[in-house]
Amino acid sequence: MLQRHMTALAVAVGLTALAQPGFAQDTYKIGSAVGLTGYAAASDRAWRDGQALAVEALNAKGGLLGKKVEYIAEDNRSEPQEAVVVYRKMMSNDKVNVFASGCVSAGNFAAAGAVVRAETPMVLCSILPPRPEEVKWAYSILPPPRFEMEARYNWLKANTQVRKIGIMHDPTPYAQLMRDVGVKSAQEAGFEVVAVESYKPDDVDMSVQIGRINAAGAGAIVKMGQGGSTVTIAKNIKQLGLEKMILLASLDDGAPLKAAGEELGERFMFVAPRVQIPAALQPGEPKEVAEAFLKIWREKFGDRDPNAGARGWDSVMVIAKAVQLANSFEGPKVRDAVEKISGFQGSFAKYNFSPEQHVGITENPYVIGVLRGGQFQVK
Amino acid sequence: MPDLVQFAQSLVNGVGVGLIYGLVGIGFCVIYNASGIVNFAQGVFVMLGGMVCHALLSKLGLPMIVAAVLTVPIVALAGLAIEFLVVRPMWDRGAALFAIILATLATQIAIERLTILTLGDQPRTYPEFTLGGPLKLGSIAISYQLFWILGCGSLMVVLLWLFFTRTTAGRALRACSQNREAAALLGIPVSRMLMLSFALSAGLGAVAGILVTPMQVTAYNIGTPFGVNGFIAAIIGGFGSAAGALAGGVLLGVLQALAIVLLGAGFKNVAALSVLLIVLFLFPSGIFAALQGSKGH
Repeated sequence: MLQRHMTALAVAVGLTALAQPGFAQDTYKIGSAVGLTGYAAASDRAWRDGQALAVEALNAKGGLLGKKVEYIAEDNRSEPQEAVVVYRKMMSNDKVNVFASGCVSAGNFAAAGAVVRAETPMVLCSILPPRPEEVKWAYSILPPPRFEMEARYNWLKANTQVRKIGIMHDPTPYAQLMRDVGVKSAQEAGFEVVAVESYKPDDVDMSVQIGRINAAGAGAIVKMGQGGSTVTIAKNIKQLGLEKMILLASLDDGAPLKAAGEELGERFMFVAPRVQIPAALQPGEPKEVAEAFLKIWREKFGDRDPNAGARGWDSVMVIAKAVQLANSFEGPKVRDAVEKISGFQGSFAKYNFSPEQHVGITENPYVIGVLRGGQFQVK
Repeated sequence: MPDLVQFAQSLVNGVGVGLIYGLVGIGFCVIYNASGIVNFAQGVFVMLGGMVCHALLSKLGLPMIVAAVLTVPIVALAGLAIEFLVVRPMWDRGAALFAIILATLATQIAIERLTILTLGDQPRTYPEFTLGGPLKLGSIAISYQLFWILGCGSLMVVLLWLFFTRTTAGRALRACSQNREAAALLGIPVSRMLMLSFALSAGLGAVAGILVTPMQVTAYNIGTPFGVNGFIAAIIGGFGSAAGALAGGVLLGVLQALAIVLLGAGFKNVAALSVLLIVLFLFPSGIFAALQGSKGH
């Protein structure tokens, strides 16, 4: 009888322990709201896969401060409303310690208020949310939009006679921010923006917008936005018989860049981090870190494009570094520690955070890429 | 103010896209006529047409014509599967039409997810059927693929007309569209007609997907815009007439193109949907049905 009572007591104690929040936090949880479907799928799926590899690598080395790292990714369908739902789920059900969400800026903005109230740091693929109180808790792994524009304008100015350009952008916050930067910086770079046209990522034809840009006298289209729309624009340029029009695309996954390059040849160019064109990696630490990542990436995914995966990997490594610096898992301490990360070499770029600098990439990591002989090369 | 060349070029582009909307619209009409069901999974047939054709080209290395011809029955089988697994069980249990329509919407989402899992999330494309081009008429460029779309679209309408007027199965389908109960009393197997309509509709969607992919890309998520625009095309055309749906698609494509030229891309859908509202107010049964009605009188 006594033994039966003792067993019941042990079960009760066990169940009580399971119900305690402390039990759930035996792992350090990284949550990620990612667009696994919708317009951001190509980059966000790779971002997620890079993060999952990084978490595996951390756990293989014993985790963080003795705790196993758990990775939770939820599909926000590339839509802000869905993003709010999955952020809430990860905060209330999964009780994540830190967010490392994907590139759907509008989704991250929509949920930022609630995340800040929960004092949870965010290391994002997207641009930073607009409100200062949200920026305090958010860090970006994405290079500033001006770097993309500088890389494209510098190349165009140095290598062509084109001085009139057209801009095409989608309605995402990132693309709109890039449009504003592009329009603002064009004049000082020596270009005249003769047309600004918008499109939706799922538009089936963009010939009319391209026709308007051509009619305005532009010699190049600077495109802001990711995904299959780049291929559609390249095809439309060809279908319109615009034999001299240059297309300069945004940072993107390799698949659409390759397809667009097959249409326009070397009239199609794109901004690329060096990890996307490994032959361009700079010797020394940048090359060592990028190649260490690429080795693991290729073992798992073969020749899949590593660009977004590298950023995903870096986001987890930045968080790991912050936890180690803070020597704590508490949100406010990890948040403060990210601000102390400087000169941290990632596979995508070098990160220099500070209290005033929450966009970690401060040196332009881009080269201008082109498809040549079926391979990406530096133009 | 845009010049005449811009207007003419946008008309050409609008016709190209509109023909595809029209083909999707015809698919809507075929199923609606046979059953009263609006199949919101219609757009995925376009997506599957492009995806399957691309897979046959790239994985099996088949010539374009073989890949295209094989794609149509494969996607038609997908249509049959939807009918057999989703629509028929509900139909046989006497489910309300709106419930079946909702189920087709859920089916679209399920097929999109299945496509990601099996074929991946990357956009893909293949070359135009006739390389080179475009054909230049002065400053106006016409892609060779547009002629393929125009030719195949017209051929589809003629074949459908022959099917509906000259074959027993086609006449039986028409009988179902007029009165299903009476058709059943006359011995027409209404449920088999439903099956036929899904296969036919899926095949039409596949043709649209095969034709349009060389002009842009295909990916798991391209079904929705084609589905929405095809639905609007079918309504403009009178939701029942194949020629009306095709003409409705062309009208929609041209309106969208003109809206971009005159008002900017942001107003493309606003303009198209405003026209749809006006059509519904003035001609509740569609412009082309109204025109046919006035001719009859």
